Amino acid sequence: MFRDLERIEREFEAGLASAAGDPGAIEAVRVRFLGRKGEMQALLRRFASLPPAEKPAAGKALNALKTRIETAVAEASAAAAAVRRRAEIAAGGLDVGLPARTPWRGSLHPVTRTRRELERIFRDLGYTVESGPEVEDDFHNFQALNLPPNHPARDATDTFYVEGGLLLRTHTSPVQIRTMQARRPPIRMVCPGRVYRRDLDATHLPMFHQLEALVVDEGISMADLKGTIDALWKRFFGDDVRIRFRPGYFPFVEPGCEYDVSCRVCGGRGCRACKGTGWLELGGAGMVHPAVFEAVGIDAERYTGFAFGLGIDRIAMVRHGIDDLRLLMENDIRFLARFPA
Amino acid sequence: MLVSFAWLEELVDLDGLGARDAADALTARGLTVDSVSGAAGSEVLDLDVPANRPDCLGHLGVARELSAAFSRPLLPRPTPPPAPGPAAAGAADIEIEAEDLCPRYTARLVRGVRVGPSPARVVARLEACGLRSVNNVVDASNLVLLETGHPIHAFDFARIEGGEIRVRRAGPGETIETLDGVLRTLGPEVLVIADRTRPVAVAGVLGGAATEIRASTRDVLVEAAVFDPGSVRSTARRLGLATDASHRFERGVDPDGVLAAQDLAVRLLEELAGGAAAPGLVDVHPRPAAPRALHLRPERVRRLLGYDPGLDATRDALARLGIRIQDAPGGALLATPPTWRVDLLREADLVEEVGRHLGYDRIPVAAASARLSPLPDRLVEAEERARTALAGLGFHEAFNYAMNAAGEDDAFVGASAPGQIVLTNPIAEPLARLRRSVLPGLLRAADRNLRHGAEDVRLFEVGRVFLRREADTFPDERPRAGIAWAGAGEPRHFSARPRPVDFFDLAGAVETVLEALQPGIAWARRRSDLSGLHPRRSAVWSSAAAGDAAWGGELHPDLAASLGLETPVLVAEIDLATLLSAEAEERAHAPLPRLPAVTRDLSFVLSAGQEYAALTAALRGVAAPAPVRFEAVDRYEGSPLAEGESSLTVRVILQPSEATLTDPEVERYRSGLIAAAEREAGARIRGGTEPPMGE
Repeated sequence: MFRDLERIEREFEAGLASAAGDPGAIEAVRVRFLGRKGEMQALLRRFASLPPAEKPAAGKALNALKTRIETAVAEASAAAAAVRRRAEIAAGGLDVGLPARTPWRGSLHPVTRTRRELERIFRDLGYTVESGPEVEDDFHNFQALNLPPNHPARDATDTFYVEGGLLLRTHTSPVQIRTMQARRPPIRMVCPGRVYRRDLDATHLPMFHQLEALVVDEGISMADLKGTIDALWKRFFGDDVRIRFRPGYFPFVEPGCEYDVSCRVCGGRGCRACKGTGWLELGGAGMVHPAVFEAVGIDAERYTGFAFGLGIDRIAMVRHGIDDLRLLMENDIRFLARFPA
Repeated sequence: MLVSFAWLEELVDLDGLGARDAADALTARGLTVDSVSGAAGSEVLDLDVPANRPDCLGHLGVARELSAAFSRPLLPRPTPPPAPGPAAAGAADIEIEAEDLCPRYTARLVRGVRVGPSPARVVARLEACGLRSVNNVVDASNLVLLETGHPIHAFDFARIEGGEIRVRRAGPGETIETLDGVLRTLGPEVLVIADRTRPVAVAGVLGGAATEIRASTRDVLVEAAVFDPGSVRSTARRLGLATDASHRFERGVDPDGVLAAQDLAVRLLEELAGGAAAPGLVDVHPRPAAPRALHLRPERVRRLLGYDPGLDATRDALARLGIRIQDAPGGALLATPPTWRVDLLREADLVEEVGRHLGYDRIPVAAASARLSPLPDRLVEAEERARTALAGLGFHEAFNYAMNAAGEDDAFVGASAPGQIVLTNPIAEPLARLRRSVLPGLLRAADRNLRHGAEDVRLFEVGRVFLRREADTFPDERPRAGIAWAGAGEPRHFSARPRPVDFFDLAGAVETVLEALQPGIAWARRRSDLSGLHPRRSAVWSSAAAGDAAWGGELHPDLAASLGLETPVLVAEIDLATLLSAEAEERAHAPLPRLPAVTRDLSFVLSAGQEYAALTAALRGVAAPAPVRFEAVDRYEGSPLAEGESSLTVRVILQPSEATLTDPEVERYRSGLIAAAEREAGARIRGGTEPPMGE
């Protein structure tokens, strides 16, 4: 019995050595020694017929050898698997410098991005965002804004008319009128949107984008207007922006003004974008004219308000350094893709 | 804090009022009563005392609130005989070394106590308030705590070495074994009560084991002191000890309340433990604080509360809370809060007292200051979400004029659509009409990009179209989202040949937007009859709720030819107003399935003209043993099928929620599906080639 154990151990070690890490050969060794018809089983059968006195010692030796063989086979298999994985790693390399499989990334138009940024600032200031029709009537686009028929200021805007006497709105101010008609003060609103003027050259498109702000409440003053314009552009352009106000005339505000911000392109030294002045003219502003309040039925004695406007396209161009207005309407993907969503 | 109603009745006249009345009044005054429990006569109120009202951490403070609420007088407590004479009979020598952390220390001596159990009524009262009875001396100090809110401490006087009390900072590394049997190492930031040689208590937090009241105790030194809240708090934190005492000292105790606490303690020790108070009170109070007087302007009351309660009501409210009122110049009031109201520090605190006493329901609702902004216009919001969704799908946002040429959009509006709105003074012929579809502009833009050599064109526009209305001179301005797609159907990569975009790519984009804007609507597709779209490769998306909300597909080959488009361009247009007219489904959570799903693949042969929609409609008509969904997993044309035939494999997924499905159930359902497909959709099951059933 013990001689057989020694022989089996010798033969197992020789067999495992000659398997040389080959998984198939290791499995064959396992079957030969541990399988149902293997050497260890045969020995176990003989063990049953041993005299009882010999059994304890023989059983101990038998079990020890079986454990040794099982352990050795398991270790050899694990080592073989590790060798195989190393080989697979060596064979399966990627050129990780090759281009990635990138999902498509669309874009939002620079005017949309700028509009959203402005709306966001106004929302943070507690304003609502309002909209209204693009095809308007004369009352909302002109008369309610203190521009009666034959008012000289009407000449300044070349208006598109459609059949039936309606027109394409020349500014977003009619949304202010509609909002004041629909709601009582306090009102804090902005109205971004498309507006139309009969104009087409290198610096004018027949359709462009405006945003106007309106605040109506008790005790609103020019100081509030200045503070709001200051807050808006400091948030948008940064704290170093300088703002100046110049008296200006718009029929729907009194007092009225125009406001400029220091040129963001040249920093105020003067460049093409600011026509050498160092200032960008951004829009008009002022205190809501009492005639406008009368047109919408708001008590001009009790309430005061301010309004101001800006051209979103112009701001977007300054923001993104776009030097040609026409790019905004050409829909060239090479241009649009520079503004990934 | 647990408050005994019977105890309150000893402190304030509540005749005719019940525990519930008291609870309601306290809650209305900002001392929320979480519950009232216990039988009639022994009700207990669970009071949620805010951190700024330590005065209400005892029954007396709660009684004061009820006194103010119901205009009922506080009831006098029996007081022990006055204790004139030398300081605690000269027996105790007391000194405050750390005056910054202990502004006042008082002590009295009660001699000859017999330590033993308390009477049953005391045990019951303590238990009602959540405390366990220990012995009559300790119980007496707990009763003082619960009644006055002022923590006191009882020392075994015989064990105070030298009869000396020193209120000082602990030395570095100095230790004390506290009442809980833990040996604690102290440090200079800890205030201790020490005798001649060692600390005997952590001030305001916990007593020491060495001077603990025990059976042999005869003489009791009663401490009633004021400790600095910040110091007690940091010591309690540092030692990991939160005690009833530290809880109160951290929030601030009444500096003048120490005397009443002493009086009560002495009376209870005499009553419960048979002691006799030695004459004399030690009161070390180096720098009594001057009463704190605050200005209150009636105008400020009105401004903050939003209504004018009137000067009389203001004075009355404050007076009832124990605040002394004098007139100050300029119509203002000079208000001196009682010493127990450590929270009243500024004018606004007094305004709150007035508002609280008169009731917050008297404050008017001013609509203007709480005005909600009107909800954003749903259509405007939908436009923004459509932009975001389409940009996320890889489309670039285009802008086109709202004007186009006469007849340019005919191909993308139905034959019965109203005519274009005409500009009376157009700037140019290509911009002479208002558009009825966003697709012509997108097609022009796609064409221009393709001519510039772009391989892939994915453009979208969100903008309005203008439809003439009969009843109204104003046109119907409808927000639309349009897309134009040419080139590859998926991102290009060197690992695969680019696959040209097809109808199913377009349908996926359309349905993603529909789902993003209005989730949960069941959309059906049918072929579109718009003249600009391929009659057999285009669809209209419609639902019972919304009607026709989108349309799109391949361009009609005739239109593509007339536009000179060499690359196929697919287009789609979504009417956002129509889409939003449907009621969307609220997104609700459903429990995740716990049972295994059962899947069966069925391969059908469809002859020419038979369509998937008819097949799935037939399948859906079969009663299923569990919630079911169908997926097309494979489609095949060619040999051995006849010309025009196709094989379509449908995966049937049954997801039971209540009981695992049995094989016969599944088999019966499967046979039903095959029969229905044959009967209603003319689809026959593919014989021997049916894939093996799997789960």
